[in-house]
Amino acid sequence: MQRQSEARLGPLLLLLLLPLAWGKGPSPPRAAEELQVSNRLAGQAARVALHYLNYRLGSPSALRALGQVRKATLKTIPGIGHKYYLQFTTEDYKSSLNVGTCLATVFYLKRKPRPAVNINCTYTKDQKQIREDDYSFYKKMRQQTKPIIGNDIPDSYGNIEPALEPAWALAVAGSSYLMWEKSTENLGYFMAQVKNVKQWITKDDSIDFDYSVVLHEIPTQEMISCHLRVIWTPGHPLKVKYFCLSENQWSESEEGSGTESGSTNGIFNEKEAHF
Amino acid sequence: VKWCKTKGVILLDFWRRPSNPELPVDIRVPFPSLQAVKVFLESHHIEYSILLEDLQVLIEEEKQEMINNQRRERGTSNFNYGAYHPLDSIYAALDDLAAEYPSLVSKQTIGESYEKRPMYILKFSTGGTNRPAIWLDAGIHSREWVTQATALWTAKKIASEYGSNPSITSLLNRMDIFLLVVTNPDGYAFTHTNNRMWRKTRSKISGSLCVGVDPNRNWDAGFGGPGASTNPCSESYHGPSANSEVEVKNVVNFIKSHGKIQAFLTLHSYSQLLLFPFGYKCTNPADYNELDAVGKAAASALASLHGTTYKVGTICSTIYQASGGSIDWSYDYGIKYSFAFELRDTGRYGFLLPASQIIPTAEETWLGLLKIMEHVRDNQ
Repeated sequence: MQRQSEARLGPLLLLLLLPLAWGKGPSPPRAAEELQVSNRLAGQAARVALHYLNYRLGSPSALRALGQVRKATLKTIPGIGHKYYLQFTTEDYKSSLNVGTCLATVFYLKRKPRPAVNINCTYTKDQKQIREDDYSFYKKMRQQTKPIIGNDIPDSYGNIEPALEPAWALAVAGSSYLMWEKSTENLGYFMAQVKNVKQWITKDDSIDFDYSVVLHEIPTQEMISCHLRVIWTPGHPLKVKYFCLSENQWSESEEGSGTESGSTNGIFNEKEAHF
Repeated sequence: VKWCKTKGVILLDFWRRPSNPELPVDIRVPFPSLQAVKVFLESHHIEYSILLEDLQVLIEEEKQEMINNQRRERGTSNFNYGAYHPLDSIYAALDDLAAEYPSLVSKQTIGESYEKRPMYILKFSTGGTNRPAIWLDAGIHSREWVTQATALWTAKKIASEYGSNPSITSLLNRMDIFLLVVTNPDGYAFTHTNNRMWRKTRSKISGSLCVGVDPNRNWDAGFGGPGASTNPCSESYHGPSANSEVEVKNVVNFIKSHGKIQAFLTLHSYSQLLLFPFGYKCTNPADYNELDAVGKAAASALASLHGTTYKVGTICSTIYQASGGSIDWSYDYGIKYSFAFELRDTGRYGFLLPASQIIPTAEETWLGLLKIMEHVRDNQ
C-alpha cells in the first residue's frame, strides 16, 4: 500500500513543480536526472531544506534532522542554476525517532547568494506537546533574574547539561538560518558546538541570547566561528543576526514571513498512511 | 618553642610536639616563614637540622607513584572502554593488553611522531612467520575521538575472545592483525590540551605561521590533486610533499617492509559511511563490484546490531573528491581490500559524540570489520 502511494507521488511531484521551473523564462524544460538516494549532493540539498525548515519553524522543541533520502531528482536549468527535487524522512533532533517525511525543492541559483527552498512535511510528533515544551522553556527564560550563561555545549566528551539543553536547541534553530544562507551546492554545514551562550534579560516579550558557535564546513573541513544573536517569542518567526569571522558585516534575517527565497506550508499533523 | 606556638603569628605545623626538654621537636615550616624561624632558632642557640628540604616535591612524587600503581593494578578488566581517555591512559592500556594476553598480543613501535611521541601498534598473532595480515588504524584525524576509543575497545575484544569466539579464533589462526590505535598522537594530545577541534598533525611548516598538515591528504595517491589545499592554514593542507609527515611515513614504511598486508582498514568520524577507493579520481576501481559487495555486506552486518545505517560507495561519489588519502595509496600499492569507515553520528554531535555511544559504536563497527576480515581470510 505504501509503495503504491510512493510510486504515484513521483510523477505527481514532477508535474506539480515543473511550472515553477518554467516560470523563470522561455527556456525549454530540461530532462530531469534521477539521482541515487546515496548521492551526496542530494543528501546535502536535503540538509539545506531542513536548515530552512528549522529556521522558519523557529521552535527548539520541533527541530528535525535528516533521516534517509527516498527519492532525488536534479534538473539543470541552463544559465539559471540547479534544482533538486527531494523526498526524505526526518528524525527528531533530540530523540532520533522518525517524525515524518518531507517533500522539498532546493534551487541553487547562479545569481543569488542563498538557495531557494520549498518544503512541505508531515509531522508525527504531537503539536500540543511541542507548543508546551517551547512555552515552558520560554517561561523559564523569561523568569530568569540572572542571565543564563554557558560554555562548550556539548563539551569535549559530548555532554550537554540538561539545564542548558533548550538554549542549545535554540542555538541550533538560530544557526539553521545561518547555515541555510551560507550553503551552496558544494558547501555544507553542521553546527559543531556552542562555544558560549549568554542571555540578555529584556523588558519585552522575547527571550534574547548571544551565542558563539562553531560550524563544521564540508568538504573543506574548516571550523568556522560565528556570533549569533537570537531573539525569540514562541509562535513568532525567529530573529537572527550573525557575524562569522570570515565576513565583514553582520547579516540579519528578514522581519516577517520572508517568502522571497522560499516557502513552507508548515506542517501537517497527519499519520504516515494518509500521506 | 611553646611561646612560638602560642603566639600564632608564624604558622608552624608541629609534627612532634614539645613535651620534654630532652626530646627533639619536629616542625614543618611554611616557606614564607623559613627565614624568620631560622633566625629565631639561631639567635636562641637552638640546634636544628633539616629532615626534609622540600615537602611538596615528595608529595608530588608520591601522588605520581599512586597514579602509576593504580594504573598497573587496574589492568584491562577495570579500564573504562566506554570513556574518552588522554594519550597516556591509552598507551598504558596498550601495555596492559600486551601484559594480560602475552601469547597473543605484543606491542611494537613503528616510529615517532613529529613531536617525538612513540607510535605504538599492537600485533595480534598466534604464531607462524610473517603471516598474511590485516592492518587497522584509527585517529589519523585527532578530533575524531570515537575512532581511537573504538580501536581500543576492538583490541580488547579481539584479545579477550580469541579461543572462545569462533570467528576471531579462525581468523587469527590464519592471519595476523596489526592495530594502530592513535595514528596522530601529537594531534590527539593537542585536542586535550588546547583545541578539541584540531584535525591535522602538529608539524611546523616553513614559511608559515600555521601549523600542521592534513595527514589524510599527505599519502602518495594523486598527491596535490583536487580536494586538498595548498594553504598551510587550511584544515586540508596536503603538506609540502607526499609522505612529508613522519606519521604517514612510518605507516608506509611498516606496510612496505611487512610485505604481506592483505587489507588496509582505517577509522574516521563522522557521517556513517563505508568507503572504498578512489578519492583522488572519480573513476571506479577495477575491483569495484567486489568491494561494493563486501562493503554492503559489512554495512548490513553493522546495522543488524543497533539499526545504525551506513551508506556504501567510493570516496568520490559518496563523500567528496579528495586526493592523497590513505586507502587510495594502499589500493594502488596492491592492497585490494582497502576500506575507510566514517563512524557515528550523522551530524547532531559530530566530533563531540557522547561517551555513552562509544561502546554501541564499537560493537556495531566490529561486526562490519569482521565481515570484511572474514572475506579477506576466505579470499587469499
